[in-house]
Amino acid sequence: MSADVIRFAGVCKRYPMGDTLVNALVDATFTIREGDFVSILGPSGSGKSTLMHLLGFLDSPTSGEILFEDRPIAEISADQRARIRAEKIGFVFQAFNLLPRMDVFTNTRLPLTYHPKPPADAAARIWNALELVDMKNRAHHRPGQLSGGQRQRVAIARALVNEPRILLADEPTGNLDSRTAATILDLFTELNRQGRTIVLVTHDPKIAAYSRRQIHVMDGRIVRVEA
Amino acid sequence: MRGRKRERVEAQEMNLFSGIINGLGEIWAHKLRSFLTMLCVMLGVMSMVVTTGFVEGMFSSWSTSLDEQGGVEKISGMPRGVEKRQEPFRVLSPGLTLEDEQALRRLLPDLAHISPELDVTVTFQRRGKSHTGRLQGVMNDVFAINRYDVESGRKFVDLDLADRADVIVLGTEVADALFEKNEPVVGAWIEVDRRPMRVIGVLKHYESFYDDFNVLHWKNKIAFVPVTTLQYKLKPGSTLSWLNMKAVDLSKVGELVDAATNILGHRHRGIRDFEVKTNEERLASFSRTKASFYFFAAGIAGISLLVSGIGIMNLMLASINERVREIGIRKALGATGRNIFSQFVAEAVALSLFGGILGVGVAVGVIMTLKATLPPGLSPLLSGSAFVVGFTFSVVVGIIAGIYPAMQASKLDPIDALRYE
Repeated sequence: MSADVIRFAGVCKRYPMGDTLVNALVDATFTIREGDFVSILGPSGSGKSTLMHLLGFLDSPTSGEILFEDRPIAEISADQRARIRAEKIGFVFQAFNLLPRMDVFTNTRLPLTYHPKPPADAAARIWNALELVDMKNRAHHRPGQLSGGQRQRVAIARALVNEPRILLADEPTGNLDSRTAATILDLFTELNRQGRTIVLVTHDPKIAAYSRRQIHVMDGRIVRVEA
Repeated sequence: MRGRKRERVEAQEMNLFSGIINGLGEIWAHKLRSFLTMLCVMLGVMSMVVTTGFVEGMFSSWSTSLDEQGGVEKISGMPRGVEKRQEPFRVLSPGLTLEDEQALRRLLPDLAHISPELDVTVTFQRRGKSHTGRLQGVMNDVFAINRYDVESGRKFVDLDLADRADVIVLGTEVADALFEKNEPVVGAWIEVDRRPMRVIGVLKHYESFYDDFNVLHWKNKIAFVPVTTLQYKLKPGSTLSWLNMKAVDLSKVGELVDAATNILGHRHRGIRDFEVKTNEERLASFSRTKASFYFFAAGIAGISLLVSGIGIMNLMLASINERVREIGIRKALGATGRNIFSQFVAEAVALSLFGGILGVGVAVGVIMTLKATLPPGLSPLLSGSAFVVGFTFSVVVGIIAGIYPAMQASKLDPIDALRYE
């Protein structure tokens, strides 16, 4: 049995919206293990984004417990959480979220600049990550000079550069055409085959089919967790 | 252990380096906006350096001339108008006379020198040349108190004073006006208000150039005769213009002022038609004036730096508003609040530092230009302290103006920031 990376136990999230409280997530319980490739599948507004934010400690639960590497994150300070993000979590967003005024190399380096213990071989790691996504030859291009697929590959390189325990991808193919999307998803499959833990958030069952197991979300509730 | 320490250092260097690069990148990305803000800082620093330069320039010439007027041990007895209630009795006082001088000299052993002086304007003539200027009736003490040296010839002797001799000592400017370059001056006769007088000495030529302006030129314009000659022969019946005294020691000055006031008051039959002043008072009022000028200059510069601070803050707030998404991305990738905070403070400091450097550069140019164009004695000084202060101020303004926007940025919720379009 492989180690637990993240465990959710009875996690709820409520937002105040006007006078009422919206239940964005109710009683979510599941575990992400080392080497997993999980997709979180649900229609828009089902609470998958909330789940994603909670997984990356960008948000805190209203109740319930989240454990990262068996440590309850409620006990970890905000600064410490930011350091864990820099060291152990890789983010891939639907909108790529590269910084437009920096070239590909500098964008890829970004998580390392916030890393609490930046590796001595930082430059080598950046080149490796760019090579992995086949963007080495565009290292000094600006994001604006790249296609959507290329941008997302840079974003993936950026997410991998700190060799994270877990890769969180939020609709990573949402802004891409289906052929490009397929290459990105193949890349995820390959990364997972190499042992990378991946959580993929999507509304599309065809995309979710690339993963090894699926967690179905509906109206803020987890309706099915594949083993 | 050692390896880890080195990693730490590298981490900091990387942060600092990328922070500066990033800051410069942002400045470059908003060229016009950044330029306008830097212009504010530049003008602020420039006005600070230039006004300080003006004040320093002005006072450096003042302080040289004060020193040449006898320094702080000097005490002066000056005639002045009496109060209204004493006006009817004014005639009771003989005025400031040589008898006052003798009394003070006899009664006050702590006086190193006492020099009665009678200051008039006369016309000097010699072989068709004419020159109008100041003539002072003095005793030898004047050379010590007011720091004059006789370059050629001699000073007065007691007999000159007792005999009311027709002898005169000339300043170089007066000598130059009456004599050709290689004519012998000492021993020659000249006319002073049509009275023949023999030149017995010529003073040293005084020079202290402040830029192209000789701040001591007034010392060369003078001529001296024995005070008795002037009082009894040239301007009969006149009283003294003032009495200059010098204490043996600075600590005696206060005591001597009181004693001299008493003695003169007694001799003048209680009529206060004189006042006893010290150079110390002039020095104090000089320092006060200097301080108020500095406050004035600092006020102007302070306001312009405040304006530039507001400009920087405004720019940073606008920039943060545009970069909410960037902040969200950075936070998601592991930036702490402190990372974001220092990034934006670094940007504000980079801006104001650049402006400060430009301001100092422009100030040097302005001061050089003013030095070349303004009449001497008015032009500003290039002062090192003004540069240091201007520079420090611009950095401090950058930090202060950057703190609030940077705090706003560091507090942004990453989720809201990421959602922001």
